[in-house]
Amino acid sequence: MVNSRSRTNKILFFYLPLTLMFTWTIFPIYWTINTAFKHEGDIVKRPLEYFPTAPTVENFVVAWNNVGFATFFKNSLIVGISTVLVVIVLSTLSGYALSRYKFKGKRSFLLMLLATQFIPRAMLIIPLFIIFKSMGLISNPLSLIITYTAVEIPFTTILMSGFIGNIPRDLEEAAAVDGASKLQSLRLVMLPLLLPGIVATAVFTFIYTWNEFLLALMLTNQQSKFTLPVGLSFMMGEFNVNYGALAAGSVIALIPAVILFAYAQKHLVNGLGGAVKG
Amino acid sequence: MSSKQLSGDVKVKRKFKIDNWIPYLFILPSFLIIATFLFYPIGTVFYYSFQHYDISAPFYNKFAGFENFVKIFTADKLFFPSLMTSLKWVVSQVGLQLIFGLLFAVMLNQTFKLRGFVRAIAFIPWAISGVLASVMWSLMYNEHMGVFNDILMKLGIISEPQAFLASTSSAFIAVVIAELWRGIPFFAITLLASLQSIPEELYEASDIDGANKWESFIHITLPHLKNTIVLTTLLRTVWEFNNVDLIFNLTGGGPANSTTTLTMYIANLAVNGSDFGYGSALTVISFLLLFVFAMVYLKITRYERED
Amino acid sequence: MKNLLKISLLLMLVAGGILAGCGSKDDGGKTADGKTKITFWDENAGPQRTPIWEKLIADFEEANPDIDVDYVGLPKDSSKSKLDTAIAADDMPDVGSVQTSWLPEFSIREALLPLDDYLADSELNDLINEGAVTFNKDVVRDGKLYGIPYTQNLDVIWIRSDWFKEAGLEAPDTWDEFFTAVNEMTADGRYGYTIRGGAGGSFQLQRLMFAYSGLENYFDDNGKSTINDPKHVEFLEKYFDLYKKNTPKSDITNDYKEMIAGFDTGVVAMVHHNIGSYGEHSKAFEPDQFEAIPLPKTEDGRYVAEGGNTINMSIFKSTKNPDEAWKFVEFINSAESQSYWNEQVGQIPTNADVLDMDWIKDSAHIKTAFEVYDNPQTVLYKPPFYLPDYRSILDNTVDAGTQKVMSGESTVQEFLDEWAKAVEDSEAKYNDAMK
Repeated sequence: MVNSRSRTNKILFFYLPLTLMFTWTIFPIYWTINTAFKHEGDIVKRPLEYFPTAPTVENFVVAWNNVGFATFFKNSLIVGISTVLVVIVLSTLSGYALSRYKFKGKRSFLLMLLATQFIPRAMLIIPLFIIFKSMGLISNPLSLIITYTAVEIPFTTILMSGFIGNIPRDLEEAAAVDGASKLQSLRLVMLPLLLPGIVATAVFTFIYTWNEFLLALMLTNQQSKFTLPVGLSFMMGEFNVNYGALAAGSVIALIPAVILFAYAQKHLVNGLGGAVKG
Repeated sequence: MSSKQLSGDVKVKRKFKIDNWIPYLFILPSFLIIATFLFYPIGTVFYYSFQHYDISAPFYNKFAGFENFVKIFTADKLFFPSLMTSLKWVVSQVGLQLIFGLLFAVMLNQTFKLRGFVRAIAFIPWAISGVLASVMWSLMYNEHMGVFNDILMKLGIISEPQAFLASTSSAFIAVVIAELWRGIPFFAITLLASLQSIPEELYEASDIDGANKWESFIHITLPHLKNTIVLTTLLRTVWEFNNVDLIFNLTGGGPANSTTTLTMYIANLAVNGSDFGYGSALTVISFLLLFVFAMVYLKITRYERED
Repeated sequence: MKNLLKISLLLMLVAGGILAGCGSKDDGGKTADGKTKITFWDENAGPQRTPIWEKLIADFEEANPDIDVDYVGLPKDSSKSKLDTAIAADDMPDVGSVQTSWLPEFSIREALLPLDDYLADSELNDLINEGAVTFNKDVVRDGKLYGIPYTQNLDVIWIRSDWFKEAGLEAPDTWDEFFTAVNEMTADGRYGYTIRGGAGGSFQLQRLMFAYSGLENYFDDNGKSTINDPKHVEFLEKYFDLYKKNTPKSDITNDYKEMIAGFDTGVVAMVHHNIGSYGEHSKAFEPDQFEAIPLPKTEDGRYVAEGGNTINMSIFKSTKNPDEAWKFVEFINSAESQSYWNEQVGQIPTNADVLDMDWIKDSAHIKTAFEVYDNPQTVLYKPPFYLPDYRSILDNTVDAGTQKVMSGESTVQEFLDEWAKAVEDSEAKYNDAMK
């Protein structure tokens, strides 16, 4: 920062570790991209190619056309975005209740939220399947949206409650005193203040839904309703080894998450910051 | 009415009956969804832990009483070793993720060129699923075509290709490293967020007092981060305890069960569809362990001090 | 506040409405335009096999314009648990591709429709490989036919014939020759062999053991398992001795993908898998670079292979349209479809009419398989598929045990004793429940 004693010190204790950190983070991603652009034969060729000498998009074509990858991609987007919307509304409401009110059963509710995280999901599949079957929702994206919402709400509620708790009450009151209607104060005062928290909630939820495999497979009995992680798993079974296409599929699956991060990065830090401020 | 209610003054609020119901109305949707779609299924797990329930062999199904639990503690050769592996797994994951996450956060909090870009990159592994991460890492760890072997051999550190996931001594470390890659960004991001909320004046004041950087880190930064650290380590402990994606895909719990955590063990039982009742009993034990841990942890760190 | 309240109430109403409105109605298996709809689950979907099914389904729908087949592909590693859940929740497909080892369990759970009468009335009768059909009946408790086998597989050893030629070595015919060849081929940074120590390894290990020992039964008359027979101990001691000496170190956690990659990248000279991986190798090599040989013969010169290495078309009991479902099963088992499917995948058809086709005669690895199956001395041993925990014993106990032996933590004898005890306990428990 300000009082760096010498250039060498700064390089040794800041830029060097920073470079290491950057390399450590990006290398696996780079390697996957590198693999995705290689011809099948070149992937296993030695000496290893650190850069594809004859880059090809053939793997991407294979992955995209594989067993309806495009459909899976679309399904994942639908499920992801819908879940995000539901989770934002529900966790803002419950987060508001937790941070602004004292009420009987508050601790029990918090405990209940925490306890939902204690069970491996694999154990919940059969009962969940039976519930959704009785509702006629098997193979319906709603079954995934509902389950993902239930899984995500505990964390995002805690997140939102921490966040709202750090918004000074005076701001809300001031708006009311100024004669703004409730809706106006909500829209003009609270919403902008809530935005970073909402972004953090959204990113968190989207990433979970985007990557979830087990429930997505088990609650869906229709080819056209599978999501992306299920599509990727088709490329990993017995008799189906194609590292290049697998890497290409992985890269495709990564793109939305990366875009989301690049876009939301700043809000995300602010949002979590608001939630955890001590 | 709204200003009074928003002031959070409990005594005043009591007068307005509707107000007492507002918090309940607000948590109601969340409560209903969680109760129906998580607590009811969790309840069935508790129920089945007292049954012999084998979905692939209905003729074995009957009431078991405490038989499953007795078996866990007396006859199961894998229970205690897998519990120990879980412990090792959680401690190394959470500990190292915290240390490196803090390091990353402190670095990313400095001002330097391209900071926004570096930050965005630094957080990406968090967005990658366990399945994808294991594809990436198994490709790099591979004995024949893996890039790690290539690099280490070029550097002259090893003379022949190693099979990182194949020995009982290195497999665990190899999986820990892969999971660290994915786990550090979560800590980095939350800690960075928390770091940014520390007022600059505090550091200036301690600077004037003649404190060096290390001292102000210990006396200002850490205390400020305490709540974040408590909450994130707690959540992370629970998540890592239940996280099997990478273990499942990289080693399948092997070699010779050296990477079989308790959750991995349960997942194997659940996936291979044998004794669901027994798997449920193991799940109940792990549920209770986590529950007790969370209570004790919150107590000793005094996290939930009421405002 | 009131507005927030209103908004949330509204949202809940909307959500409730969607929930109520979206529930799929029981359509009795009809599509909107009055076609009969049947669902088909493929137990090993992926870029290789899914297109084959899609082509066959398109052909079927063209020939039967009033039937609509809904294909659902399942990733191989999860297909069994997916079917388990479907049966447990009574939400099964109409038709499924079902492995023979699942038949006993599915039939006892009353999930499948007996197909004896259907087959008897069909043109397919007498065309489908009798041995495979009989095996399917023998393996289930009530002796009925619950699946029509449409493809047969066989474990083989894939070898790099070009390297063998270079070294002046013959492909091994006996186990002694096998171990010698492994040793000879280990040179110049190449490994002679690769062991599948990770997921799925136990199933292959068992087949090697019986091929070596020549034992024909899994249990003796006293209900004692032959798994820890001295012959098996002897074999595994030799076999695991290859680890690290003649094989890559990573073998201990190798699953299919790593094992096959070792062979296809030119690191390993021999690999034990089945004829189904032909497609994979043919992508990596020229035809004269590799070939399939049978698992070596026993001391007295017999081939011993595992019975029931087939996959079947089965109809699930809950189907509302059994006749249409059977039409589809029949179609897939027709000479034309079976020929297409098996040629693409590289496995053995079960329909007698396919066996004279040119591609069969020209295909070396299929000829190898026939060498074994058509040999009058060949014995097919019958694994206890009926034991409910048969698979979980292999997946959990045996895979971990294999790795313990390979890492030197236990001896072959201890490992086989543990395995034998697990199947004996399971057998006793089963017999007890069935009394």
